[in-house]
Amino acid sequence: MTERVHVFGIRHHGPGSARALGTALDALLPDVILVEGPPDADELVGFVGHEQLRPPVALLVYPPEDPGRGVFYPFAVFSPEWQALSWAAAHRVPARFMDLPQAMQLASEGAEREARSADPLEALARAAGYDDPEQWWEHAIEQRLEPAGLFAGLLEAMAALRAGAPDPGLRERQREAYMRRSIRVALKEGFERIAVVCGAWHAPALADPGPAKADDALLKGLARTKVETTWIPWTHSRLSFRSGYGAGVGSPGWYAHLWTVPDRAPIRWVTQAAQLLRGEDLDASPASIIETVRLAEALAALRDRPMAGLSELRDATLSILCGGEAAALQLIHDRLEIGESLGEVPADAPAVPLQRDLEAHQRSLRLRPSSEIRELDLDLRKENDRERSRLLHRLRLLGIDWGQPLEAMGKTGTFHELWRLQWDPQMALSVVEASVFGQTVESAATAAAQKKSDGEQELPALAALLDLCILAELDGAVLRVLARIQEQAALHSGAAHLMSAMLPLARAARYGDVRGTPKERVLPVLEGLFERVLIALPAASASLDDEAAAQMLEAMDRVEEALRLAGREDWRREWLEVLASLTGKDSVHGLLRGRFVRVRHDSGTLDEGGLHAASRFALSTAVPAAQAAAWLTGLLRGGAVSLLHEDGVWRALDRWLRELTPEVFDEAVPLVRRAFSTFQGPELRAMGEKVKRFGSEGAETRSVETEEEIDAQRADRVLPVLAHLLGSRHA
Amino acid sequence: MSEVLRRHAEQQYAEELGALLDSDDRPRPPSWKLSPWAVKTYLLGGTLPGGFAIAPKYIGNARLIEIAIATLATDRALLLLGVPGTAKSWVSEHLSAAISGDSTLLVQGTAGTDESALRYGWNYARLLAEGPSMAALVPSPIFRAMQDGKIARVEELTRVGSDVQDALITILSEKTLPIPELNSEVQARQGFNVVATANSRDRGVNELSSALQRRFNIVVLPVPVDLAQELEIVSRRIAEIGRALPLPVEKPALEEIRRVVTIFRELRNGATEDGKTRLKSPSGTLSSAEAISVVNHGLAVAAYFGDGMLRAGDIAAGLTGAVVKDPVQDRVVWLEYLKTIVKEREGWKDLYRACMDVLE
Repeated sequence: MTERVHVFGIRHHGPGSARALGTALDALLPDVILVEGPPDADELVGFVGHEQLRPPVALLVYPPEDPGRGVFYPFAVFSPEWQALSWAAAHRVPARFMDLPQAMQLASEGAEREARSADPLEALARAAGYDDPEQWWEHAIEQRLEPAGLFAGLLEAMAALRAGAPDPGLRERQREAYMRRSIRVALKEGFERIAVVCGAWHAPALADPGPAKADDALLKGLARTKVETTWIPWTHSRLSFRSGYGAGVGSPGWYAHLWTVPDRAPIRWVTQAAQLLRGEDLDASPASIIETVRLAEALAALRDRPMAGLSELRDATLSILCGGEAAALQLIHDRLEIGESLGEVPADAPAVPLQRDLEAHQRSLRLRPSSEIRELDLDLRKENDRERSRLLHRLRLLGIDWGQPLEAMGKTGTFHELWRLQWDPQMALSVVEASVFGQTVESAATAAAQKKSDGEQELPALAALLDLCILAELDGAVLRVLARIQEQAALHSGAAHLMSAMLPLARAARYGDVRGTPKERVLPVLEGLFERVLIALPAASASLDDEAAAQMLEAMDRVEEALRLAGREDWRREWLEVLASLTGKDSVHGLLRGRFVRVRHDSGTLDEGGLHAASRFALSTAVPAAQAAAWLTGLLRGGAVSLLHEDGVWRALDRWLRELTPEVFDEAVPLVRRAFSTFQGPELRAMGEKVKRFGSEGAETRSVETEEEIDAQRADRVLPVLAHLLGSRHA
Repeated sequence: MSEVLRRHAEQQYAEELGALLDSDDRPRPPSWKLSPWAVKTYLLGGTLPGGFAIAPKYIGNARLIEIAIATLATDRALLLLGVPGTAKSWVSEHLSAAISGDSTLLVQGTAGTDESALRYGWNYARLLAEGPSMAALVPSPIFRAMQDGKIARVEELTRVGSDVQDALITILSEKTLPIPELNSEVQARQGFNVVATANSRDRGVNELSSALQRRFNIVVLPVPVDLAQELEIVSRRIAEIGRALPLPVEKPALEEIRRVVTIFRELRNGATEDGKTRLKSPSGTLSSAEAISVVNHGLAVAAYFGDGMLRAGDIAAGLTGAVVKDPVQDRVVWLEYLKTIVKEREGWKDLYRACMDVLE
């Protein structure tokens, strides 16, 4: 009866196996195909062949009450399992999964698959002289273009290996028992040509299903739990994770390449790499392609391999196409060897757990999605509002912009948040896309934020991301982003970036308690940033043009703000010391020096006498006018109010002005005018008032002496006209 | 022969090469003394079928040596890149010794290298007496390598002026060297090839023209992979130099050498050894060779000005000088490193203070 069963041992995600399997199925024309996979998902097999189901996709089997424990079965176009299912769909032949149902696997405690102690292929690879079993499989199996005899040979090899392998764990035996049971069911149903597609390791155990008794004993009494299944979109980069089958693929892009281009794979591969490099404006001539392929082939010969594989191509590409540059090779690795293709899932596939989780939150927080725009005012001191805010922030991290934060007006920003809510039906699609990251809003948002932070180089963007993660209360992501900030801060010397990143961190340290972010984690990172700022500031504030100086000034304001929030006296002292060392340097832009002086004065480290001396020095006639004006602007910066209430600056300037000789005064006037031109009319008027008051307090005032008497008669003549103008009658 | 300070590779390892030749039964490219497989064994070490042990010449990534050999076997020129002290010349010497049995066809590239060093010069006395003739021509090492079908070596290719470098283009692509004065040419015999080395830190000095670069396969030789390996190299060299240059000083504590090597490695790699913190790298090379000279300098300071024991203060100046090559950028890097790493590290306070003293 076993000649009705045909076992095809494959390697999960192996394009060579997939190709060989296709040929074998064409020859066999089976009337049923059994695939190693979760029978829980049998009803989803019908979607294979649907034109909107495009690999890479994954079957997800999860317990509805705990989606986080879900198990994935990813399929790429080059996966033999996918090819088997597609073959069945195209030939209208039933296809079923035959593995131990996840309903049973997930029911038992410690549902983790028992890891096999050693890679079964390792022994075979070692015997063939390879250190890496993957590579051996690729050379011996995947790159074979002639599939004849492949499956029979594999079956034999695996049988020999299994004979010498240690006893598999209970779970492995149960799985194989269930697979045999599935085969028996198919036999009983009267199928004539049963194709069994399973991992090569299991093939010998399934070749002959044998009597049912022992298997039944193994499977007896296994509990079941409720599970749900769905298709979710997958990515090539996630294919390299270990999940579902327990097998990951190091270079899915290369496998996809092997699958899609049957012949001359190395040449096409190098050509693609060259085109990729050219797209990035790197040189890659056809002559280099030729030499790369030649070198790869010579390397394969030197390594006694039948044809150039990925490692030979990689070495040759590095040496010739990339000219020894590892960075260019990394580009090829990321974009070509892994690739970023994203799968697609039909809209009528069952809802993903992320969607379920989101719905559960929406119910419990009484936050119903609606396409109408409405505003929501959240008081973060209330538990329910805080959770709502958290959910909205997490969704933003996932790219689901259901809520848009508005600037809280009037009320204190720490406790209030204003949102504008609008649910767009398109967002359902975003939810499906986001489900790549995880099965609950929390885990998905964490993973999304982590991925974003890993790809982000710029400090300000990372700082903004940190802000968002803290708002979304994602501890795992916060830690990762903090680590990234620390890392990038070490690499980047741009002081302005370092300085602007300080503020969000300081805010996190200060207000983190409202959100529950531990201060102890933020402070060391902030301290590291601050130390780097101190070191980088002298170099960064030298030789700036007007525009750069203005930017630097803003960055400084942010540091000031951050220092105020952090409330560390010692930091403030160090900061002022650095500023003091810079005030006297001519290479520093006047605007900044003026500001430094002001900051030091305001903080009390520079007294009025010092301020006066600095003013006199900086505004001496020998100083170029533009620099002097900039210095004064920097000094006066910070709004009219502080100037009006701060007598120190006023007095120092007053003293400086009064000491000027008339000639020098004439030259200084334009400077002063320019510096004051940034103030508004009413502010200037208020300052004028202050000048007057100062004048009356001042020890000496020079008033304009009026020597001539008023000629009353002549004055009287004007009065009628004046009265007419004012509209009153002249008495 | 014994009074020679340093023998050529093919002389020093003649026995190994002979043993390899005897047991080598695999196909050889034209004019190669050994098959590529035997060359690989010669460089990476191994045991021959007869039990004869071949000492490894290069310790490190075997794939790089495979690429180098495959490059030469496919008739492409090889360019070995790397920071100073990564065994570029050593590898090039042994490759030529194994492949051609001759590592002496060497051109040392300098800013003063002219075209006659790469092509040919003239014996002017003969030129004047007899007129241009083959006998009056002085062949360059490359010229001779072409005639004999051997490997020619060019050291420090990027130090050679760009116009002179480009003389190699015809030689590498056409495999001929025209001699217009004699209306003649030399055509390279099979087996001719060029192995060049260049310092990747100096790449900008005389960057290879893209036409020339295209004719080379480039292999980048990395710095030692781990602390243990590098520590071994550095302390062995220091012991050797110490013998040659008798200093009245205690043998340096391994701990002090470890600190120097650790600092060099961390700054060079841009990350701490535990991989937890990223760092900026200074503009200098910070090779193992420089670590050796920092420790040696420290030993001399300790011997003549200190108490004879190598202490943090003795190496601080040398260390700072090695790291801070650019007074602005490198100073920032070094300060950051001192403040964020050295200061916090257990038992490194003395070094921190000593280095800060030097900086101020």
